[in-house]
Amino acid sequence: MTGTAVEPVGVEPVVSVEPVVSVEPVEPVVMDVMGSMPSPTDRQRAAGRLQLAALAPRVAPVAPAHLRALPVAAPLGDLLPGGGLARGATVAIDGPLAPALSLQLLAAASAGGEWVAVVEPDDRPGDFGALAAAEAGVALERCAVVRRVTRDRWPVVVSALLEGARLVIAPVPQRLRHADARRLVARARERQGILVVVGSGWPAEAALRIHGQASRWHGLEAGEGLLVHRDLLIEIDSKQGHRRTWCAQAS
Amino acid sequence: MNSDPRTVRSACVRVADWPIITAWNAEPSRRDTAFAVLERVGPRELVRAASPAARALGVVPGLRKREAEARGVDQFVEADLSGEARRFEVVARACETVTPRLTIDTPGRLGFPTRGPARYFGGDLALGEHVHAIVGAVLGDDAGSVRVGIADGSFAARLAAREARHHDGCLVVVPGSSARFLAPFPLAALGDADFAGLLERLGIHTLGDFANLPSADVLARFGPLGATRHALARGLDPAPVDLSVPPPDLVERHEFDPPVTRVDTAAFAAKALADRLLAALARRGVGCVRVRVEAETEHGEQLVRVWRHEGALSATALAERVRWQLDAWLDANERGTRIVDGDVRAEQDLAVLSEMGVDSTTGALVMLRLVPEEVVASGERQMGLWGGDAAAAERADRVLGRLQGMLGIDQVGTFVVQGGRTPAERVAFVPWGEPREPRRPLHLGGEVAVWPGRLPDPAPTQVFDPPSPAELLDRDGYPVVVNGRGELRRPPAWLRAAAVPDGGGAVRGWCGPWIHDVRWWDIRQRHRRALFQITIGDDTAETACLVSIEHGRAHLDGVY
Repeated sequence: MTGTAVEPVGVEPVVSVEPVVSVEPVEPVVMDVMGSMPSPTDRQRAAGRLQLAALAPRVAPVAPAHLRALPVAAPLGDLLPGGGLARGATVAIDGPLAPALSLQLLAAASAGGEWVAVVEPDDRPGDFGALAAAEAGVALERCAVVRRVTRDRWPVVVSALLEGARLVIAPVPQRLRHADARRLVARARERQGILVVVGSGWPAEAALRIHGQASRWHGLEAGEGLLVHRDLLIEIDSKQGHRRTWCAQAS
Repeated sequence: MNSDPRTVRSACVRVADWPIITAWNAEPSRRDTAFAVLERVGPRELVRAASPAARALGVVPGLRKREAEARGVDQFVEADLSGEARRFEVVARACETVTPRLTIDTPGRLGFPTRGPARYFGGDLALGEHVHAIVGAVLGDDAGSVRVGIADGSFAARLAAREARHHDGCLVVVPGSSARFLAPFPLAALGDADFAGLLERLGIHTLGDFANLPSADVLARFGPLGATRHALARGLDPAPVDLSVPPPDLVERHEFDPPVTRVDTAAFAAKALADRLLAALARRGVGCVRVRVEAETEHGEQLVRVWRHEGALSATALAERVRWQLDAWLDANERGTRIVDGDVRAEQDLAVLSEMGVDSTTGALVMLRLVPEEVVASGERQMGLWGGDAAAAERADRVLGRLQGMLGIDQVGTFVVQGGRTPAERVAFVPWGEPREPRRPLHLGGEVAVWPGRLPDPAPTQVFDPPSPAELLDRDGYPVVVNGRGELRRPPAWLRAAAVPDGGGAVRGWCGPWIHDVRWWDIRQRHRRALFQITIGDDTAETACLVSIEHGRAHLDGVY
């Protein structure tokens, strides 16, 4: 994924290096690859391949950072810079709506066919709302849950999970060391994974900070009705600035 | 009829009701009681074995738990496969004094080729009686359950062992007469109810009838599987037909440094070994039907045991067998050193075994090896189940396996949606590597299972399992009460719970109660609860909660 050209600027010079138009000079390397006595047609084919190989990087789709992001569904996606989560980023979520919002992010990664992982802390077993996750669109068979992770094992577990899953949701343990947190941020960037830390007190930097401040429910009255849907008050801090809006959660 | 040269003359040693004997050993007081050992097959609990007293009440293996209860058995024991395998090692060791070429089919049954030992002991009958005696000696009180059968081919030997009950525990079928011996058995003896049912409908009722069909026609009509069974019915042992000896580079080994004494540490390595071995075999398009588990202790002892499986072994099945075997070895080792806190029976076993010149294991394991002994061409290869990127699945599998090693098998897994009423009931946690099967299926025979009183969607994003304590109070500060008819006396006005912001607040909206009377037919597991959806807070910020009341106490089940 990192290998594909990210910046359009880097693409240009590649083409001019190879004399791709001439058919005659066929490198011996190509003959080895073909593995047989080169008949004229073989030679032509080999030259054709060379031409194609030279052209490939030129016509390969260029993916700027905002397109390589994992798209997140509305309403949260509309508020995020670029409409989604950039790979390799660390996202810090806090506030009362943090569990609900982290499920949205989980669903975004899962919908793209990626593996995701959830860390449950030692002191709150059975915290992950698996049914709500399934409702949000998380493919549970690709959603690994690690339970009862103690504070001292937390960095190791999260770091391991970043290796195997595209997106990892982990509640911030108390008194997390700054060095550990920074190492995990670097790890996420290196593996092109997304680390979502839930709860206040994330000591390191985060590309995106989401504060799920409050919600208003519709449908439930005193003694009648049912919970139907809600409005969310979300604050988002990123390099692009600060936003604070009410939005409706799709039911 | 002459015996087929491909058919190996085999013995089968079987201990009848092995699960029961294992349960007796775990709890000697059960000896005279009527109880049944249960095993879980999909969503059902079926009787795996019944004690003699329970059998007298008409409880037979395969019965459902409820039916067994209806016949008057009220004591049930969960099947302990690992325990069964561990205990069976005593029998295997006793038989090892006769021949080194043992193959364990399943805990409770093993087989070996008899040509060599029969010559040594002076004939099949003498061998059979000798084996019967030595196995009986290690089993003590349960000696009466030992059955030995000797016949051409392991299938016939197995049935002979089953019939041995009527012949003082030892039955020898004369060479060349296996087909005649098999003829009167019903088709169910083949061990495939579907296939037997099909033949029954075609008017074929016994193995003899089936054997009389022309093989070519059987192959044409029923395919290779049918042909294999036809050969079995004719008294031929088809196992060696397409066997090949696997090349030595398929052997998987793992060295333990430092040496391990704990079963779970070793079993974890075994799981990885089993995965690697099967992956290597799968690349060659073969499956493994017989595997040799070899271990070496720090004192240089070599432990070897062969396990066999009908059909090719899956990674889980293989890892399970290796684990059982390690259990047996390491457990014997531990018992050998731990004489003080007296497992009396274990000491007896050891005493008997050492009298017979069988040593127990000493020391920790330093090496574990898996050797595929017999492989068969695997008919089909199942491709990745997950869809999507196979490399990503593989990476995830590796990482999760490693975490399981670090945190424990049960701490890493996935959820699966299942039937139920509350959000916590509607999902089940499945440890990684185990089949993702719901305990309560969503569909019953093509119909969607209905759960009356199920809470409506949406589901809470945070689920507390177990529920965290809370207080649900009415306007006057008294706990909200729901009466026996599910009626609410006074509406809730205030919720107090540690897990919600500000520790609770005034109730704004509520609905319910949903009344659940869970397992009302089972006096021990029955519980009644009433659930409410409740919102607390004010105009600017609301929190929606799922609150349950059980035995007059409120709990917070989830936050939406």
